[in-house]
Amino acid sequence: MDTNKNMLTEPIVDMQNVCIRYGEDPEILSNIKLSLDKGSFHFLTGKSGAGKTSLLSMMYLALMPSRGTVSVFGSNIGYASRHTMAMLRRKIGVVFQDFRLLEHLSAYDNVAVPLRIRGMGENEIKKRVKELLSWVELDKSMDKICSTLSGGEKQRVAIARAVINRPEILLADEPTGNVDNDIASKLMKLFVELNKLGTTVVIATHSKDLIAEYNYPQIHLENKTLKIIPALRRVS
Amino acid sequence: MKRKFFLKNHSELPLKEDKSTFFLEISVGVSVFLFSIALAAYFLISLMICSWNKSIVHGLSVQIMPSQEVLTPEEELLYTGKVIQFFEGLENVEKVRLIKDAQIKKLMSPWLGQNVDISSLPLPKLLEVRLKSGKNFDYEKTARLLKETAPYASIDNHGIWLQKLVKSASSLKMMSIFILLVVLVAAAVSIMFAVQTSLKIHQNIIEILHIMGATDDYVAKQYGKRVFVVSFFSSIIGSLFALLSLLVVAKISSNLDAGLISSAKLALPHWLFLMSLPLWTGFFAMATALVSVKRSLGKMM
Repeated sequence: MDTNKNMLTEPIVDMQNVCIRYGEDPEILSNIKLSLDKGSFHFLTGKSGAGKTSLLSMMYLALMPSRGTVSVFGSNIGYASRHTMAMLRRKIGVVFQDFRLLEHLSAYDNVAVPLRIRGMGENEIKKRVKELLSWVELDKSMDKICSTLSGGEKQRVAIARAVINRPEILLADEPTGNVDNDIASKLMKLFVELNKLGTTVVIATHSKDLIAEYNYPQIHLENKTLKIIPALRRVS
Repeated sequence: MKRKFFLKNHSELPLKEDKSTFFLEISVGVSVFLFSIALAAYFLISLMICSWNKSIVHGLSVQIMPSQEVLTPEEELLYTGKVIQFFEGLENVEKVRLIKDAQIKKLMSPWLGQNVDISSLPLPKLLEVRLKSGKNFDYEKTARLLKETAPYASIDNHGIWLQKLVKSASSLKMMSIFILLVVLVAAAVSIMFAVQTSLKIHQNIIEILHIMGATDDYVAKQYGKRVFVVSFFSSIIGSLFALLSLLVVAKISSNLDAGLISSAKLALPHWLFLMSLPLWTGFFAMATALVSVKRSLGKMM
């Protein structure tokens, strides 16, 4: 498989002969083999219903494969205890297509959740959350309840929540879909910067412009199978 | 400052808005009310049984029937003194006490009223005999010897009917234990039901928390804290109603005191324990919620 410049030898996500099916329905992904190296950056592409969300769900350990083995950070998730799974998830940041914010909480508290789960002190949380919310231009809205925020603001909160923990893997489902071009460009810069710092990034997107502009390798899903489309040129 | 206070009590789950909270408040309040009443009954019955058992083992009554011959008060006094001397001479007797006329009058007042001159009535003299130990006391031999010494005196061994009373009180005690267990189980089931309902309502949020790396403990603790607070405050209300009811019952029963059998009163430690029930309820509810939540989370993502 193709990797980019930050790759190391040991895969951070490893899938072998993985199949996914829901109930008695036919398989939506068959015999998937995928290895993501630490520090890699991929776009996840494919038509709607191709299985992008299911593949991402498996990566953030919300979905178990119907067949095959999935290892994340070297742990086979089929054998991991609930506590181990929780610890593994703490190293993964996720941006959902529908944001999945805690609507009854403020923007500040949503972003603080991953840090509180880790048991971080409130002073440190305050410092980090304010800094990040200010960076995504939400410093004036940090006390607003999420249900009152606009789509674009929610998306930025969701991204801030995903990256606040400085995750080792960042999985994002259409992260720039609801924001204007300036903010989209800023957010992509954030992902690139995180990737440069060693975070493995997978971004599911339909945007051909985004893929063309950033030119990272693609994990393309089609006809239940997966193929890697290499990057045409390296990003400087 | 406002934020600092909020953060100290932060909870990602909006449990305060749960409709199941109202059900939990009512069920815990009613359970604590019933539990307090049943527990007070248990304490009272235990105290009475203990007191009656002491009476069976350590005491007996002696009646000196009015003589068929006409005796002067001095002769009557001498006769009574003879009986007292008889008992004081026995090895196993600790104390002999003559029940005073005033006390007899009080004992008889429910039947005869307050304004009766009992000296004009042919009432027996009563002696209360305290034994060092009733286990080795030979009632039959003592009664025979007493008959020889003072024919009008007789031993009233109330141990026989007290034993029957103890037996029926013991079954009441068992029943109060059964009621306590039933209330406890009912409370636990209602807590579990409320928690399960809440878990279903907040399944989506719990899933998000899990995805962000929350352990089952992290989620369960939020439920534990909330259930503790709700149970604690609703059980204070249930407990207050129960204590008020107990005080009313205690007042009524003190007016009805006939003095035939020794009644029991709750001591300070009993009242303190009853008053501490909201705290125990809070811990019990919290433990039940934690176990129930953890079991359910184990089946989730």
